[in-house]
Amino acid sequence: MTNRLTRRLFGASVAALALIGSYAAASAADLNALVWCDHSDPNLLKPFEDATGIKVNVKEFEGTGAGLAIVDQSQPGDWDVMVIDTVDVRRGVDRGLFEPLPEDKLPMADIFPEVLMNQHAVVDGKRYGVTEKFGYNTIGFNKSKVDAADMDTLGVLTNDKYKGRIAIYDYYLPVMGLAAMAIGKKTSELTEADLPAIKEVLQKMKANAKAVTDVVASQTALATGEADILIGGGEWVTAGIAKENPDLDFSIPKEGAVLWSQSLAMFKDSKNKDNALKFIQYVMSPEGQARLATSSCYWGMPANKQATLTADQKKILRFDEQADFLKRAQEYPAPSEDLDKKMQDLWTAMIQGQ
Amino acid sequence: MTRALAIVYALLLYGFIFLPVAVLVLFSFQGTLFPIPPFNGPSLRWYAAVLGDARLTAGLGNSVVVALLSSAVATLLGFLSAWGFARFHLPASAFLRGLITLPLTVSYLIIGMGLLIFFNWIGLPKSLVAAGIGHVVINLPLCFAIIYSQMGDHQANIERAARDLGASEAKVLLLITAPIMWPALFASFFLSMTFSWDEFVISFLLTRFETTLPVEIWNLLRAGLNPKTNAVGAMVFGVSIILAIVFELTAFRKRPQ
Amino acid sequence: MSSASTSRIAWASVTPALLWTLVFFVVPFVAMGVMSLHPKAGEGASLAAYAQFFTNPSYWHALINSLEVTLIVTVISVLLAYPFAWILAFMVPERWQRLALMLAVLPFWTSYVVRSYSWLLVLAEKGVVNSTLVNLGLLSEPIQIANTRTATVIGFVHFFVMLLTLTIYANLKQLSPNYRKAATDLGASGFQTFIHVILPLTLPGIMVGAFLTFVLAIGDYITPQILGGNNELLMPQLIMMQIGRRGDFASASALSLILMAVVTLAYLACARWLKIERA
Repeated sequence: MTNRLTRRLFGASVAALALIGSYAAASAADLNALVWCDHSDPNLLKPFEDATGIKVNVKEFEGTGAGLAIVDQSQPGDWDVMVIDTVDVRRGVDRGLFEPLPEDKLPMADIFPEVLMNQHAVVDGKRYGVTEKFGYNTIGFNKSKVDAADMDTLGVLTNDKYKGRIAIYDYYLPVMGLAAMAIGKKTSELTEADLPAIKEVLQKMKANAKAVTDVVASQTALATGEADILIGGGEWVTAGIAKENPDLDFSIPKEGAVLWSQSLAMFKDSKNKDNALKFIQYVMSPEGQARLATSSCYWGMPANKQATLTADQKKILRFDEQADFLKRAQEYPAPSEDLDKKMQDLWTAMIQGQ
Repeated sequence: MTRALAIVYALLLYGFIFLPVAVLVLFSFQGTLFPIPPFNGPSLRWYAAVLGDARLTAGLGNSVVVALLSSAVATLLGFLSAWGFARFHLPASAFLRGLITLPLTVSYLIIGMGLLIFFNWIGLPKSLVAAGIGHVVINLPLCFAIIYSQMGDHQANIERAARDLGASEAKVLLLITAPIMWPALFASFFLSMTFSWDEFVISFLLTRFETTLPVEIWNLLRAGLNPKTNAVGAMVFGVSIILAIVFELTAFRKRPQ
Repeated sequence: MSSASTSRIAWASVTPALLWTLVFFVVPFVAMGVMSLHPKAGEGASLAAYAQFFTNPSYWHALINSLEVTLIVTVISVLLAYPFAWILAFMVPERWQRLALMLAVLPFWTSYVVRSYSWLLVLAEKGVVNSTLVNLGLLSEPIQIANTRTATVIGFVHFFVMLLTLTIYANLKQLSPNYRKAATDLGASGFQTFIHVILPLTLPGIMVGAFLTFVLAIGDYITPQILGGNNELLMPQLIMMQIGRRGDFASASALSLILMAVVTLAYLACARWLKIERA
């Protein structure tokens, strides 16, 4: 109790600073959004801001763990909306963060049913997340440099033929999902007992790889010929630069690929729920969907089938093949916090070559 | 013979030092998306894109404000404390001086981490002010060390003379000490500006929506292949050179040795 | 003037700086220490975050990697910078020296983040260096430098050669020319003069520069993250990973303090050269 009091007092004494500091924080007409980098594109935000007069403040993060950590460090009411992996919506609900979304005010009927993932986004009959964009973590490659037939199987992960020409996308969840699928495991059923087998695949993969790269390094590597294959890549890496280098492509191997799917959620403590809903409605609208799908940070499939994409854009995203892709795709791994830590340690060990 | 060797060595080193910047500037004029040979240009495409990018231009403005204010605070605190330690016999002076210079030996990352946890604990939101506070922490020891090392005894004599003539302590400080110490103050301020301007990790950890240019550039780098990075780097380079020339002309030309 | 008011003025002048250092440096440090001992919210203190470091090889290897890279960088930078500073100080005509120094520092006036990135362009397989060497027939095929430790080292050395050139140059200029003359008059060869006279006299300057290099390099996240291609992790990368991926502040704090301890050891090792004294 006294400890709390001292903290409060101490806090108050720095409040003067906090006051100056918080001038940047929300004013009434603002919307504070915790997002992935694709939502920072002015092409997406500006039409909304112009039409509604609502200023959207965005903070970018990568990965649910980091996003929830930012929320933990914030005060209630600091945030209005969040982008989160659909498979992780429940984690936010369990922490009591999210507000149910009104399904009747969203274009639910137009969304690809396979990506709605109600088992994750609906809790106790209430919808807490609506899928806005999806795609695949699979094999991205340069058509002119590799044998296309080799790209149709996950055997390529450990294929010595491409030694030194592979880059691995530096995100543990999808790539470990791919590794699991390569040895016939289901991504939704991973347990600690599967880790040794996955580790073996990762080690072989790393031995063949040139680098373990983040998004831009991955793109740079593919685009500059530094690497010919990107494990964990997909339309989100190749589509945005396909116009400049049409040889860049992706495949969905016969074993399948990892489906990533991002959702929008609204915070329970939001002070601007009306604005938050307006924003979500805008992003889910056919126009918002097309803009989000072709965002400068990365491209991806719009969840809404009615998205106003051009024929060219649809071709690059392989819009018409989605039914077949979705059939083979498996869920993004959503480990428990304990398993998550073990998977990250395994990933760290792979990078360190151990 | 030695002379020829020395020239070759110096040229090689200059080459090494200039290589990445030259490549950067060259590819900032690249016409295509890929910053690799062959060179396709020159094109101003990416410069136009940078100037049209509201976040980058805002980041630029924020960086200037944070650098100016944090350097002013660091120089002021450094000057006052250097003067206090140089002119008065304070108890535990060596220990206290050591305390002020201590942050010099600590990595920025660790200073940033500590502030992140501390601000989080007392509920100070992430902001440019928080980052500015961090910049003062890293620059204060530097300003102190520079100014303290220049506090000579002859300045003390002039101060004493002024005091004997009836000037108040504040007046002495403002009208006598500060003007005498002007080169050291200017150097401290300028160096602080440079460090603050280029500082990444503290700003990265401590800001939220509004942030500084290095963090915006980092975001750009994380957000997909984008030659705007080259253009913005080249522009920062250009502006910095102009500043350096101004510095050279104002700080040194006026005061012949 | 009474001694009481003198003392009041004295304290008033030093207190703001001391307070700032106390509140925004020492207290956060303590907060970090407390945080590192509480890996799980709501539970008692534990050393789990430290235990994790010492028991998990991929964690303590990050420290070894960091030490290796930093030492390599420091040594190479000193070796490259010393002759350069020497040439600038003694062989370039006096009136050109300022210009020569300015030129050497000029490239560092671009953004640090961008500078690291531009090395990636230079060193890439299809980058300027490789294409030129292959075109000239000096290489049969491109060599991989980007995304390796070598790239990280090059990126670091680039920055620290500049820094060390400046510190060593300043040091050499402070030497009285008489030392050199005296040594030569006494019959010492150029080399002997250097080993027995100049080097010992410039050692403090070298140590200050080397220590600065060590501190700045071992704590840097940008250079290895951009250039190293994640083929190994250094401490700062591991620390940022704890925050960025997990929001695990206890681990991040523990790792930071361990890194800090290493830097302190380095500081103690060269403390006698690092005193800041008045002129």
